Amino acid sequence: MLDTQDHLIVSNLNVSRGEARVLFDIQLHLAPNEIVACVGRNGAGKSTLLKSISGFLPADSGEVKSHGQVLTGLRPYEIARLGVKYVPQDKRVFSDLTVRENLELGSYASGDYNWDPVITYFPKLQILMDRKAGHLSGGERQMLMIGRAILGQPKVLLIDEPTEGLAPSIVTHLKYVFTELSKSASVLIVEQNLPLVCAISKRVYALKEGRFVAELKDDQIRTDVCEHYL
Amino acid sequence: MLNSLHWWRGILITFTALWLAKFVLPLPFMNEVLVFSIYTIGCNFLLGRVGFISFGQPAYLAVGAYATAFYLFYFGTNPYIGLLIGLVAGLVFAFIVGLLFVRLRSDYFALVNLALSVIVFYMLQKVLADITKGDNGLWFLTNIDATPVFNLTKPSEFFLFCIFVGAAVWALYKYLDDTVFGACCLATKINETKLEFIGYDNFKIRLTAFVIANTTTAFAGSLYAIYLGFVSPEMTGHSRTADPVVVTILGGVGSLWGPIVGTLAYTGLRDVASKFIGNWELIVGFILVFIMMTNSVGLYGTLENWSKSLWRRVSGQKGTA
Amino acid sequence: MAPRVGSERYGMTAQLLFSGVVFGLSLASIYFLISIGLSLCFGLMRIISLDQLLYYTVGAYITYSISTLTGNLWVGVLGGIAVGALLALAVERLVFKRIYERELTFSMITSFGILLGGIGVVKALWGVVPRPVRMPLDEQMNLFGTDIPLYRLSVIVVAALVYAGIWLFLNRTIIGKAIRAGIEDMEHVEGLGINAARLFTITFVLAGALSALAGGIYAPLIMVDPHMGLEILAFVFMVVIIGGLGSIKGTLYSSLLVGQVVSLGSLIYAPLAVMAPFAMMLLILLVKPTGLFGTPLSK
Repeated sequence: MLDTQDHLIVSNLNVSRGEARVLFDIQLHLAPNEIVACVGRNGAGKSTLLKSISGFLPADSGEVKSHGQVLTGLRPYEIARLGVKYVPQDKRVFSDLTVRENLELGSYASGDYNWDPVITYFPKLQILMDRKAGHLSGGERQMLMIGRAILGQPKVLLIDEPTEGLAPSIVTHLKYVFTELSKSASVLIVEQNLPLVCAISKRVYALKEGRFVAELKDDQIRTDVCEHYL
Repeated sequence: MLNSLHWWRGILITFTALWLAKFVLPLPFMNEVLVFSIYTIGCNFLLGRVGFISFGQPAYLAVGAYATAFYLFYFGTNPYIGLLIGLVAGLVFAFIVGLLFVRLRSDYFALVNLALSVIVFYMLQKVLADITKGDNGLWFLTNIDATPVFNLTKPSEFFLFCIFVGAAVWALYKYLDDTVFGACCLATKINETKLEFIGYDNFKIRLTAFVIANTTTAFAGSLYAIYLGFVSPEMTGHSRTADPVVVTILGGVGSLWGPIVGTLAYTGLRDVASKFIGNWELIVGFILVFIMMTNSVGLYGTLENWSKSLWRRVSGQKGTA
Repeated sequence: MAPRVGSERYGMTAQLLFSGVVFGLSLASIYFLISIGLSLCFGLMRIISLDQLLYYTVGAYITYSISTLTGNLWVGVLGGIAVGALLALAVERLVFKRIYERELTFSMITSFGILLGGIGVVKALWGVVPRPVRMPLDEQMNLFGTDIPLYRLSVIVVAALVYAGIWLFLNRTIIGKAIRAGIEDMEHVEGLGINAARLFTITFVLAGALSALAGGIYAPLIMVDPHMGLEILAFVFMVVIIGGLGSIKGTLYSSLLVGQVVSLGSLIYAPLAVMAPFAMMLLILLVKPTGLFGTPLSK
């Protein structure tokens, strides 16, 4: 496993929020075309992990690298431009802009004006093009967020709790989308939805109180095993 | 606590030094410094402890000054009563205004106070010109009685009076700092949600701090009125807005002695700059930016740090640096 | 006799009212040009930029110098905008770039320092004596039976054009859309890969240019003096507070409102010009502590 081929390597990462240390000595790696999950209870530090990898939270110590390039210390937009895209929680889209304009921003940022993959994954967006994003349902917003993030063909997608609050049919569709996406990129998903995670992930990291307590592979990836570690 | 000499040490040293300074520096300068310091400590407290800056301190200054002026011009001659009236007027005004202003976010707060200052200016200059005599101001120096104990009409005795008053004001603020109230003020600046969770009412704390700070400011106004024997709307003019803000930052935010050091520096600087350069805004503006950008702790803070490191070196570096 | 006197009196009041409205619109124009910059800077960067009043002052002074030299006001205004924008660029790169993450009081005090220092520089360069700027269009136009100074109308026209331009910029250009998105959620905009630093610089310089424009076109109507920024500061901020920091719509409405209140108020009773906007502001803050359309501080 060569250093420079890994889409993402996190070494000895320590992150604090204010005075309190939230993440301790995190090590993780993401090889090409993998779906890797990070599970944990509320407050374990999952979102903090994704935020610090993508540059929104400074690290106390440790390093994040992608293809040999050091990401720690770079501004979030620089990291995004290097192909590491963060899709946050809360299904936040730019509510005052239309779906089309949201995608335009994504294209402007990445230089990728080919929306075919986005429409292929999320055909419904084509119908919603001129609707203001603030008027979309939760599921539609999630689709827009992911669609926007895949512009520019990122190498790594950091996705934070995508299925929270979504209807089962949409969750199934997202499962399909993530699997397809992993054919060209690597995905690190943070989730509470254990069955989804176990169905699609190649590896699962269990995060408890800021530390990785287990890295599950192959037939260890089952809901009961996950719960055991949390 | 208040009984111990240790607690009073700083205050006694400072005000004795200020009193001694009159043998070295001109008396008018020292009088100005004392009153200006009292003017500024309210602003300093508000910014340093509660986290709010006000661009409209002249409004409260004028309320105190004009209340005293009205009394001495129209009604009576006793300066002590005049001071008391100014104090009460300031208290009432600050309370009423505070009820509305304290709810606001810090930027709105600052600007609303600025607007208040402009309003007060117009009120004094035009609207109430019948009683305020507009731009001509009110002259009542000859109205003031020579009072026993301190004859406030004589600058040297006014100076002595201010020394004692100043010490009392500083004692008040030092006391506040040491109480739970002081801690609450600081807490309300840092994290108001947490403070609410442990049962304190942010609004009441802020309002109390606001009233105390601006009553002090109004009191300074009354002192000015008595000292000059004259008030005019000019004290709320827009060039005066900068004064308390600059002095606060210059001296060092949140420190008890910042206002005094800041006032000494600022008043001195302004006199020197006006005489030689005639352009105090240039210097003051750049100093302000410089201090903010370098995260400086102001003159007092810097002096404190210097003297601490000097002391460490002199006393042979006891303990770790 | 009586009806004619009545209609004469009516006619005169209507004329007075109409010219008051026009005067109010011209005031609103100036307020708007400065306030829109302040609102954008707050909405996007979460800073209070009191130094905008400096670019206003500089815009006026450069306009004075160039128009006195060339005899043409509009060339002067263009020069004023250019210098104001350049100055804003310098200040943004040197000062604000480093303090975006700090709390509001920090930018308030720092920008106030810049404003003061800048006034000092203006004093040093041009002196303290107020300077008059010649109005290019001396004539009056007769509208609805009232004589309206043509120049005041052109001020209103300029502001209206600027508003249209800003609307187009924010709604039809990608950078404008990025700014609108950033006002809503800057973190997210950066997460897409858009250069936040450049977006901030563009917005700040735009604000400075607009403030300078305001100073330039207002110059013939007032005396240009070093403290002109401080004089208008309170009014601009009343507009901004009433409309709510961060809202462009709010800024437009409150500029119009305050402009009319100041103008018509002064027709009734001079000090009302200052008291009325203030009373209005207090009433609005009582009900909505962030102004009519203000965006709250937390993103």
